[in-house]
Amino acid sequence: MKPENPFLAGLALIAGLLFLSPVLYSVWISFQTADAYYAGELGFTLDNYGRAVGQYNFARYLLNSLIVSGLVTLFGITFATMAAFAFARYSFRGGNLLFGATVATLMIPSHISLIPNYLSLAKVGLLDTYAGLILPAISNGFAAFFLRQYIRGIPKALDEAAYMDGAKPLQVLWRIIVPLSRPAIASMALYIFMTEWNSYIWPLVAVGDQDLYTLQIGLARLYRINPGEGLVDWPLVMAASTITILPVLCGFLLVERHLVRGITMGAVK
Amino acid sequence: MLRKLTPYLFVAPLMISIALFTYIPILASLNLSVREWNFLSPDMPFVGLRNYEQLLSSRELWNSLWVTTLFAVLSVPLRLALALLIASYLVRESVHSRLLRGALFLPSVTSTVSIAVVFSWVFSTDYGMVNAILGTLGLGKVQWLQDPYLALWVLIFVNTWKQMGYDIVIYIAGLQAIPRELYDAASVDGGRRFHVFRRITMPLVMPTTYFLLVISVIEAFQVFTIVNVMTRGGPAGATDMLVNLLYEIGFVLFDIGRGSALAVMLFVLLVALAILKSRIIGRKVHYEA
Repeated sequence: MKPENPFLAGLALIAGLLFLSPVLYSVWISFQTADAYYAGELGFTLDNYGRAVGQYNFARYLLNSLIVSGLVTLFGITFATMAAFAFARYSFRGGNLLFGATVATLMIPSHISLIPNYLSLAKVGLLDTYAGLILPAISNGFAAFFLRQYIRGIPKALDEAAYMDGAKPLQVLWRIIVPLSRPAIASMALYIFMTEWNSYIWPLVAVGDQDLYTLQIGLARLYRINPGEGLVDWPLVMAASTITILPVLCGFLLVERHLVRGITMGAVK
Repeated sequence: MLRKLTPYLFVAPLMISIALFTYIPILASLNLSVREWNFLSPDMPFVGLRNYEQLLSSRELWNSLWVTTLFAVLSVPLRLALALLIASYLVRESVHSRLLRGALFLPSVTSTVSIAVVFSWVFSTDYGMVNAILGTLGLGKVQWLQDPYLALWVLIFVNTWKQMGYDIVIYIAGLQAIPRELYDAASVDGGRRFHVFRRITMPLVMPTTYFLLVISVIEAFQVFTIVNVMTRGGPAGATDMLVNLLYEIGFVLFDIGRGSALAVMLFVLLVALAILKSRIIGRKVHYEA
């Protein structure tokens, strides 16, 4: 890296803050009392967070989001890794066709399955359950495709040595492939988690029971069903919005490099 | 025997969930699109292509198609041009470029609903940030989200603000793949900056541009969250994009047949776009490393 020009660095910092100012300002509003906010005065309070969590159930929504995104990630990455291993290491009858069907899902817009998934989950009584939120989101063709490419780059001699020592396929996958693909698996797990965390249209249609709302649905409802009479209670809404942004933001700051590497690996080979 | 089964066992969980929640639903949509059903009535009679005819002769569909196309045509070039300019500035490694990259990338991983809510406030008439700034400049209040012309531009702005960071990161990776010697040679020849950008950078990041162009167009045709939160398709249908219309028909009116017909039409449109993209990329891009 070149030595830093402090003037440029300062300018960059200001530009970045300006760019993010709407979000930063919304966090600021979330600490204002409603009266002070509408009167244009200052009045610090934590009350909005108290109300969002207590009165408006956001602790529950946070828990729901964690459960749903966590399980979708766990199952999604497991299924994708297993399939990627088979596609990378075995040639089997129908293998190319199945791989083609997996890759083709990248071109298929998800809204086509919205109504049918709603109807079939309604039929088996899984609307308004965690399972109903989770199941349609588990298959991830992109992760399977991406991991298959990555696994193909791992020397096959390593597998063969393990098979010589009497290892079973599952052991080879778990002891050799998975540890060696850790960065790729981590990137994809992160990608699945974030996609699911922010997912909106499916939870919107699949869940009517308030106790199963994810953060996204809870926040959209809170904003749309104005709690203040006619006026939106902006400090309350911004507290809820901050609760929704925060977990992913912290995660992002921890793993920025992984994530950026992951998405660029996917786009530019 | 078991050895032969092994790969099938490994792919089974993924293939079953893809079949159940992606491929069978496509067939189900086709089937539902030629029936009339409101989710409650006991039977769903076959009505042929009536749902399609109704849609194609309705004002909503053409309005929606027009609005969505407008959104895509206006927002995608804007995003890509801005992203390429910023990326070519930020491509050099330094602390301040890393800082800015982080700030610009952040919105693309942040909750879309939160961003839609925050910008609903930014553009709200009475207490919003933009009108407050206009106020201090002595200008009057603008009804951003209530004005049929401005509302679409607000959505384009919000979408650009959110997604541009992703484009920038991809462009930076593309720019870093361009061999330095080319720039060195150009500077020996005394090439001016704009000239170098035009003659070397632009053609060499073409593969990246095509990639981003296609995914952003496909994405633009599926925009829903910001519409649903910020405008509900209004005012007067000015931001009623295709997926929003699908949601309204399918899950507000519960007209399953017409909703499915719309889903099938949108599906055909998007798959055609995706296929077109692979054709174009196959033919026109020579610079792939």
